Amino acid sequence: MDRISTGVAGLDTMLGGGLIPRRPYVVSGPTGSGKTILAMHFLAEGLGRGEAGLMVTLDEPPNEVKSNLSAFGWNLDRLKMLDATPDIKAHKRQRSVIDVGTTLDVRDMEQVGEIRQSSGIRALEVSVHGIQKMLKQEYFGHLERTKQPYKRIVVDSLTALKMFSMQGEDSRIMIQSFLRFLSELEATCLIVSERLKPTVIETEFFLARGEIRFHKWLDGNVIRRAISIEKYRGSRFDDRIRPITITNAGITVDSQGSVSLTAGRLAKLGDAYLEQRIGDEVSTVIERVMKLIEEANKMRVSASDVEHGISRAMLHLHRKNYQKALKTALNAQSVLRERLDRAKQGLPPPPPRAVPPPPGVRK
Amino acid sequence: MNDGKIKTGTPGLDRMLHGGFVPHRPYIVSGAPGSGKTVLSMQFLLEGIQGGERCLFVALEEPPNEIKQNMRSFRWPVDDIEMLDGNSDVRRFEPTPVIEISTEVEPVKMREIEDRIRKTPDFESHEVTVHSLQQLLKNTFIKRRYERVVVDSMTALKYFCMREFEETLTTQSFMRFLAESKVTSLLTVELPESGDVPPETFLARGEVRLHKLRDETGIKRFISVEKYKGSSHDEFVYPFEIRESGIVVLSAEGGKAPAPL
Repeated sequence: MDRISTGVAGLDTMLGGGLIPRRPYVVSGPTGSGKTILAMHFLAEGLGRGEAGLMVTLDEPPNEVKSNLSAFGWNLDRLKMLDATPDIKAHKRQRSVIDVGTTLDVRDMEQVGEIRQSSGIRALEVSVHGIQKMLKQEYFGHLERTKQPYKRIVVDSLTALKMFSMQGEDSRIMIQSFLRFLSELEATCLIVSERLKPTVIETEFFLARGEIRFHKWLDGNVIRRAISIEKYRGSRFDDRIRPITITNAGITVDSQGSVSLTAGRLAKLGDAYLEQRIGDEVSTVIERVMKLIEEANKMRVSASDVEHGISRAMLHLHRKNYQKALKTALNAQSVLRERLDRAKQGLPPPPPRAVPPPPGVRK
Repeated sequence: MNDGKIKTGTPGLDRMLHGGFVPHRPYIVSGAPGSGKTVLSMQFLLEGIQGGERCLFVALEEPPNEIKQNMRSFRWPVDDIEMLDGNSDVRRFEPTPVIEISTEVEPVKMREIEDRIRKTPDFESHEVTVHSLQQLLKNTFIKRRYERVVVDSMTALKYFCMREFEETLTTQSFMRFLAESKVTSLLTVELPESGDVPPETFLARGEVRLHKLRDETGIKRFISVEKYKGSSHDEFVYPFEIRESGIVVLSAEGGKAPAPL
């Protein structure tokens, strides 16, 4: 079966060669995990092969999308952008919803300038139906103008639409119809969406032929990212979670690398791991200082202030105040080391340093 | 222990069910997305075809052309399985009420399914409701006798073809209809990543559940029989793999399939 490349080499490897063409797929993950960047890789790859690509932007106005992507060195000038961001709501009494279908704003990425201003007379609100109509108009318009169908379509994203424009039972049917519509266009589509509730089967996830999921979690104070394939109809795929990095060249998947834990528990376990590591560090320093104190006692070097310091460090450690504990212990260690070195060289002890008195002792 | 039970087409599963399914009853295959429900139900039909039975696949979730392409990698002789396309067209959002699936839609053999997706006609679109589907199946069953029927998926039927307030009742009635039609049916049900079990599982005579777990080494799949009315069954959870030949149930140690009783 022929496959089409996502534009990210490592991801293609995970997908067993790429995406099966002419089907819709979902890209999911938390905000800032790289979904839009992947979508752009996908479109840029298509443009590089001379395939027409369309980006339907629902979350961000095209000018922002453009400036956000300027850091990556992609030539997206020929990419068509369909601006489906809703206008400022007009809050008029007569008609609550006006479909986007009335004005169609599609332009090359090159021509994207300032943000489109809401019309003074009527505001555009976005519905699935409206987008479907717009997309259909543009698809066939483009086919007629250039004799080339859109091969790659990105919808970024369905989340806002789900949250703001559709409530209740109709949304399932609307999305079902929208996905059917996308399938019938016979373009390979990426739909960016977030899974809002794990307890609910969300329509686009259920109907999409595959799901590429991004993961993002905090490991200490570093943000880590990973990617996994949750579902892929009709193909074998790499079923592990693989680490990714995002640089100026875009997304790089380490298709051999491994992430040790599952995403849901990652954050918590990352913290726990970090805590344990700092705890270990503090206890080794304390142990080292204890040995130094023993040595000092043998050499008849006064170490009572250091003993106080170390007992404070232990107290901090006990209270899980790791940073203070580490600081106090390291301070005690360096003071005692210096003193011992001097004693070994037969030098007089240095003038006492200002070590704050232990807690509870006041002059 | 066989008591006229019919084979499921998945060798390890037959042993877990102590012989197979009691015929003429509806069963559920549930599992997370990508756990192997469609593959399992295809094997169920394939078993029937090889025994000379008539088998029907009701596609509600994916277009038939894609199912055909997806099954190609298994190289199964699926050509004689009949496929009923119950996917709704693109909705027109017109003031006219729902246009239902026409009762002239006929099942098509897998070998005749085209490679391209069926396009929504320009002047009308058909929408499938549970009512129209039931009527259509009724007519189909009168014309021909089917032994095995797969509905893929019940979740799609519930989501897109029923009104929310009557889901449970309608599901019950649909299952009753399948039982009265004297077909052995397998209904696939998608389970959410976490949360409650959908009500279909209470209504079916048996439930085979597919589990998907992710750990450091990738996705692990397991199979269990959650419920089986009118028969004893194996209560253990066994690992399984989807191989070139289809679903293979392994023993708990990952070796050969569970031993027969």
